[in-house]
Amino acid sequence: MFTLGIDIGSTACKAVILQDGARVEARAVVPLGTGTSGAGDVLQKVLAVKNRQIEDMERILVTGYGRFTFAGADSQKSELSCHARGVNFLFPSVRTIIDIGGQDIKAMRVNAKGFLENFVMNDKCAAGTGKFLDVMARIINVKVNDLGEIGLKATEEVNISNTCTVFAESEVISKLSAAVRIEDLVAGIHRSVAKRVASLAFRNGIVPEVAMSGGVALNKGVVALLEEEIKRNILVHEDCQLAGALGAAVLAYEELHK
Amino acid sequence: MGEQVGQKPKRELPRSRVLVAEQTAKIYRDAFAAKARGEKVGWSTAIFPQEICETLDIPVLYPENNAASISAKHLGGELIEHAEGAMQYPSRICSYARLNMALADKIQDPAYSKADPLMPSPDFLLLANNSCTQLMKWYECLSRDLGIPIFFIDCLFNYYEEKPAKHKITYIRKQIEKYIWDMEAFSGKKFDWDKFLEVQKRSQINSKLFDEIIRLNMRTPAPMSGFDFFNYMSCLVLARGKESTTVIFEQLKKEVEEHIANNTTTFPSEEKYRVHWEGIACWPNLGHNLKTLKNYNVNAVINGYVTAWNVDYEPGDLDSMASAYASSSTNSLSTNTIMNMRADTIENYNCDGMLCHVNRSCKMMTFHIFVGRHIIEERTGVPCANFDGDQSDERIYSEAQFETRLQGLVEIMQHRKEANHG
Ligand code: SF4
Repeated sequence: MFTLGIDIGSTACKAVILQDGARVEARAVVPLGTGTSGAGDVLQKVLAVKNRQIEDMERILVTGYGRFTFAGADSQKSELSCHARGVNFLFPSVRTIIDIGGQDIKAMRVNAKGFLENFVMNDKCAAGTGKFLDVMARIINVKVNDLGEIGLKATEEVNISNTCTVFAESEVISKLSAAVRIEDLVAGIHRSVAKRVASLAFRNGIVPEVAMSGGVALNKGVVALLEEEIKRNILVHEDCQLAGALGAAVLAYEELHK
Repeated sequence: MGEQVGQKPKRELPRSRVLVAEQTAKIYRDAFAAKARGEKVGWSTAIFPQEICETLDIPVLYPENNAASISAKHLGGELIEHAEGAMQYPSRICSYARLNMALADKIQDPAYSKADPLMPSPDFLLLANNSCTQLMKWYECLSRDLGIPIFFIDCLFNYYEEKPAKHKITYIRKQIEKYIWDMEAFSGKKFDWDKFLEVQKRSQINSKLFDEIIRLNMRTPAPMSGFDFFNYMSCLVLARGKESTTVIFEQLKKEVEEHIANNTTTFPSEEKYRVHWEGIACWPNLGHNLKTLKNYNVNAVINGYVTAWNVDYEPGDLDSMASAYASSSTNSLSTNTIMNMRADTIENYNCDGMLCHVNRSCKMMTFHIFVGRHIIEERTGVPCANFDGDQSDERIYSEAQFETRLQGLVEIMQHRKEANHG
């Protein structure tokens, strides 16, 4: 039996097909967010992996920012519960999840079964989010996916004092014109994200073990600095970006067996 | 503190709501009429000893209440823009203050009619800083711009004790006494102490009645959608000492008791979850709040804001009155005291969670939440969720964010209920 979870985020769409609630059969990511062809594309892409048809899916559960607009969904759930279940699937021992998405930062505490216990999210501000990193990568003229590797080559960090995306943008521009090393600048940008995210995580209470989900978890520079800030190891699974979609597929399976 | 707020009612308004609308309209009408006769009209902060002007028969209106009503009608945006633009006030100050200072400026033009309800320009100001200190600067600006006096009662906060200390009560009582003499001199009217006692008694009858009504919502399922109480707060702010408020509350009590007897409710869907709403309403977004709460079967059965106007004291005892005005606003209390009150309410009203409005304007009411949620979670075990908003500034609120936070909270509450029921 197959269940399908789709996470329609603000900057990317992710999908996972799960077999019998236990085995990942296919996964797909499309770097387009809600309101674009992203949701349709990711559906086609994930079905194509093993040549499946939509009719093969027993249940489709949709999450993420665009969860209300996907026509083929059997049900929808908040990205909070989906990330909690998804990370629990990947790392059952995790009790604290930090998710940095396109426009949201979430700090969640979960129990042994992956049920959400409590959460805090960022206020209506892009500081520390994936969007913040997108903007910074654009100004520095590097690919956002390369930021992690670049930041790890820093010899010293350039201090970015503004958390506001717009002000940080002009601060980065002024540092660029002062000819600082790009690697040091990227490390400074990562530090500002890490500090912002750490304070949210502290506010929610940190219980080990800690994992990160969401696309930014693939950025090794941010993860390393966040580990420093919260003074704990952070587990990152290679499927971290798919945690929301995976959780959605798990929850779809559970809904069938209620 | 608005009235007639929220979604457009599909059903006929209950009698009590019609009475509220009539009472409010009359208070505004009377103030305009007094002004037209050349009599003095005042503007007052929301928790000020209004019994004194009521005794002297001097009309007083309440900018915070007025701003809430204007915001609920989506008419506040233009005024806020005027405050930030032409008047050069920063967007960081309280949106009630921005909206009201803009209104005070606009109404100097007799042709201005856009805001609703309009207020006559004041001749004096009544200010008690028991809710926040920003009120002082706000009223100072009004006083300077309009060239009118302020009658000020300085209230000390109670961060280190649960009830106001003796010296604070004496300090405030002395100011109330002086204010009475000053008001006699200012208005040229003689203060009638017997009438004052009657007004105080009426004020207490009304406060207690409202308290009794709210307590009826402890029942599960609740007879009232908690948001409905917002519609009656104006009675306590504008007319706490008036008999017409007693009539409204008696009517409301009858209606709520009828709901209980018939097992009906004003909550527009099945009540699966009960939450405590913390903070001021998002007046311009009340419709979206209520619709979303309804869709997720969440009744915000109680909130601390509607009970803030129950100024509870012993009639005839000025010390007791001083103490009540020093502590009625929870903003004057410590985080511990407030959160213990909230935890009691959560237990008494059988709430499954707490939904906290992180209000960009009212820092005093909001900052308790960040530490307070741990106290709540520890004492009551219920989950808390925050969302961003503002009491009047529509730009702060995000519909998608509100829904995600509420949905996350509902999913936790649902799981806990299922776990408890095996
Ligand atoms: S900041 Fe809060 S307490 Fe102060 S006037 Fe504004 S709403 Fe009232």
